[in-house]
Amino acid sequence: MFRWVVLSLIILVAQKPAPRTPVTFEEVSPSASKITWTHDNAQSPDRQLPETVGAGCAFLDYDNDGWMDIYFVNSGPSDFFTPAAPLKNALYRNNRDGTFTDVTDKAGVAGGRFGMGVAAADYDGDGNVDLYITNYGQNILYRNNGNGTFTEVTDKAGVATPGWSTCATFFDYNNDAKLDLFVSSFVFYDKTQNPLCTDETLKRRYYCVPRLFKPTPSRLFHNNGDGTFKDVSRESGIADHPGKSFGAVATDINNDGLMDLFVANDTMPNFLFVNKGAGKFEEIGLAAGVAYGEAGRPRSGMGVDAADYDGDGWQDLFVANIDHEFFSLYRNEKELIFTDQPGEIAPSTQLLSGWGLKFFDYDNDGDPDLFLVNGHPDDMIESRIPRVKHKEPLLMFENTGRTFKDVSATSGAVFSKMFSGRGMALGDFDNDGDSDVLTSNNGEAPLLLRNQGGNRNNWIGLQLVATKSNPAAVGAVITWQTGTTKRSRLKIGGGSYLSSHDPREILGVGSANKIDSIEIRWPSGKVDRLTNPPINKYIKVIEGTGLAR
Amino acid sequence: MRKSSSNNRGITRKTRIGIVVLWVVCLSAGHIFAQSADVVQRFEQIAAFIRDNRIAEAEKELASVLQATPDLPVALNLMGTIRAKQGRLNEAELLFLRAVRNDRKFNGARMNLVYLYLLKRAPEKSILQLKEVLAVEPAHAEAADKLAELLLAAGRVDECISFIEKQKAAGPVSPSLLVTLGDAYLAKKTLDKAEENYLVALEGRLENAGALFGLAQISRVKGEMREVSIYLNRVGTLIVDSKSPAFLYKFSLEAMRVGMFDEAKSALERSLELRPKDPQYILALGIAWLRKGDLFEAEKLFRRLLEIQPNNAQGQLHLGYVLLNQKKYAEARLWLEKSARPGVAIPEVFYYLGLVAQEQNDDARAIVLFEKAVQKLPNYAHARIALGSSYMKLKNYVRARQELETAVKLDPDEPTAHYNLALLYARIKEPAKAQEELRIIEKLKAKGASTGGVVVLPPGSGPKER
Repeated sequence: MFRWVVLSLIILVAQKPAPRTPVTFEEVSPSASKITWTHDNAQSPDRQLPETVGAGCAFLDYDNDGWMDIYFVNSGPSDFFTPAAPLKNALYRNNRDGTFTDVTDKAGVAGGRFGMGVAAADYDGDGNVDLYITNYGQNILYRNNGNGTFTEVTDKAGVATPGWSTCATFFDYNNDAKLDLFVSSFVFYDKTQNPLCTDETLKRRYYCVPRLFKPTPSRLFHNNGDGTFKDVSRESGIADHPGKSFGAVATDINNDGLMDLFVANDTMPNFLFVNKGAGKFEEIGLAAGVAYGEAGRPRSGMGVDAADYDGDGWQDLFVANIDHEFFSLYRNEKELIFTDQPGEIAPSTQLLSGWGLKFFDYDNDGDPDLFLVNGHPDDMIESRIPRVKHKEPLLMFENTGRTFKDVSATSGAVFSKMFSGRGMALGDFDNDGDSDVLTSNNGEAPLLLRNQGGNRNNWIGLQLVATKSNPAAVGAVITWQTGTTKRSRLKIGGGSYLSSHDPREILGVGSANKIDSIEIRWPSGKVDRLTNPPINKYIKVIEGTGLAR
Repeated sequence: MRKSSSNNRGITRKTRIGIVVLWVVCLSAGHIFAQSADVVQRFEQIAAFIRDNRIAEAEKELASVLQATPDLPVALNLMGTIRAKQGRLNEAELLFLRAVRNDRKFNGARMNLVYLYLLKRAPEKSILQLKEVLAVEPAHAEAADKLAELLLAAGRVDECISFIEKQKAAGPVSPSLLVTLGDAYLAKKTLDKAEENYLVALEGRLENAGALFGLAQISRVKGEMREVSIYLNRVGTLIVDSKSPAFLYKFSLEAMRVGMFDEAKSALERSLELRPKDPQYILALGIAWLRKGDLFEAEKLFRRLLEIQPNNAQGQLHLGYVLLNQKKYAEARLWLEKSARPGVAIPEVFYYLGLVAQEQNDDARAIVLFEKAVQKLPNYAHARIALGSSYMKLKNYVRARQELETAVKLDPDEPTAHYNLALLYARIKEPAKAQEELRIIEKLKAKGASTGGVVVLPPGSGPKER
């Protein structure tokens, strides 16, 4: 009897799973990465609103070498700001050894306006990723020449929007295999439109709340396929809804194969534009339950993203708001209705203001986790609201099935630091099979965070090469199966805030050492199936052909 | 400044005993001057021992006195004081009673009995003793003040008025007695007489916090909110160094009623300096922070209250409410369920628990809880809104509409009701009606209507917002 008990104990001890080593994000220092660029927010005593909103960043492979390069957006000359020294956006080429080289001038992508955001995509389908820069002032489209240089083609392409643009999202709204462009527009603003916002306590100006400014309609551009775009904002219905728009994400909320748009508005109801086909969108934010906070109070929506976090086959939405408004995780209840179920995210973000954010599988266990970048837009907020800070921490949430758990405390030392976070881009810059993070901070140096340990689980990376669908394969549905576990992911357009991401998809499979099958349902309707693909490496999948040899 | 009401349940036993002892020592010293010089000296020495907390020495001295003269009233009174200080209240009572039996005019011992009975929560016995004191010494100001206060506190308003009016007829009375008279008339809603007495108590100077506080209450009843603020602001400045936690507390409740949360907070913080562990004050301060919108400070205070009184239902309810507002649903539910006493749960508890269930995506359970809240309080607009919202989530649009339209009728200025109705109309494809509801919300916002939430004030501290 005694021996039996001892044996049982030994078995129990042996069966107890080893404590899991958490996945962490390690800060890559400027000296290690050679990224020395810093954002200049142009902060002035007049506290002009555009100063506090930017800026974005991107992971992109501009030279098609299979390694993610980096782009940063900076402030620049405007009607209220003349830089003492020239300010530039920055393009950093990935040297494939953890370092980067500034190639901005050589590439000709310095910007030169008061920059906000960036969207990277191959709009002309020539196989080279192009850059669209949003600005306070006219936007810029840089066409990639395929030789390490770019040419500005904004006017020729017809995408030079006036006013104050924020997020740009490439997606194919009419499934004609060309990337169309949605450009969020913020408020009507110029230097004469900056009211005096102050109070008795401070006796100094602070950044005005956007509520004081007039909304402007966002823009939708149809890609004509000849290097030009047509502004279809009016006929599509987008222009019927002036907003104060920041983050935008293109996703398919009703699984009808047409990409819809979720757009965050600041101090106004958010927009959910359902794609009705034939080039028309219907705004259903109110009925869907994603427009307002409780009591019908519009909130300060900033960053957004979409993913099927609960694996029910329907795209859920996320929007980050300002402090005390809580961030919203909108679960898709089908029939175009969402319910806000933030779970543990709510108390963790109660005092924070969120911008860049992204659902992604940080630990390659197969389900989307969530990364949040925060920072209060008002640099004097600490004098005005107790406990709210100007600089705020990053947050990492792990998907636990139907909800999220705050794992920031165990995700690395960087999560105990404070930042003026704004943009956030996702990409595997070291090609090690787990997603790294790039953030851009307002008036500060950016952060490059290396994922440490995400690739302890197995994975496969897909580079989707469209032949009949839009070049970014936005709208493709990827389904992968390991044993009895089947997962699927929609390739969305945009998401986060002012930023653009690694176009490759990393599919996590946990501890499974074999992937039985992968199916890619392209927006064109074509389906490619891969059986027993290799694991722990990137593969190229060509539409209609399958695995590239 | 008026004396504190003696009917303070929150006062700690130790503090109460301290008050009695100090009082006894002073009065006893006065009474012993009738004795011979040696005796006087000896009793002064004993009184000094008691004051200095040298109880053993005092007791030894008194024992020797009482051995020689077992019925000496002064000695009995001092021994009673020692017993009271030791918390042996029944023995103290017997000693004081023996003292007054042996000397019916010994008002010092009678006043000790007054405070002793208050400690023993027997205010009626205190009243009887006070009447005896006044029979011996009709001009005894403290006894008169205390009697008036106790009569009013006991709800014997007419008797209180009659007593003070008689005192007034006999000659000038203290401002504090006039304030009590004002309070008594205010309790009877005889506003003009209340106002008249408060004004006399002020003697032309804005220095009497009690009178000003009474005038603030009258102004509130009359709806003169500007005057309320003026009076309360003045009271607020007068009570900065107040030693009366009870009055500070009363003031804070009134200040909260008119939205003067900072003033309420200051008064309650002062109350807590005087009585750091008083659950009533901790609760009220938590509520003041809640009203100011600082959930974190409020949470800290409710937790502090529950450390002192783990079963305090109000503390549990408020902590649950704060956690609910911070979207910490699991813990909110725990505290709210604890606060629900069988058979006496207030509708808010069911409402909050329903909200937790709703947020945890359990609308079927939420509906049961909201129904219970509505059953208890059919005019509970917030519960009806929540009920409508849950029905909407379950796609029972007919019931949702019914509840939401009822809620709007009950509380037309509540934006949450209009928002949910807008949501419903949008879902049942009545966009014009939805837009109309959104327009109403905009109008309400312009009017500065409050949105959502219910704050439960401590019992008796004012009407609940619904």
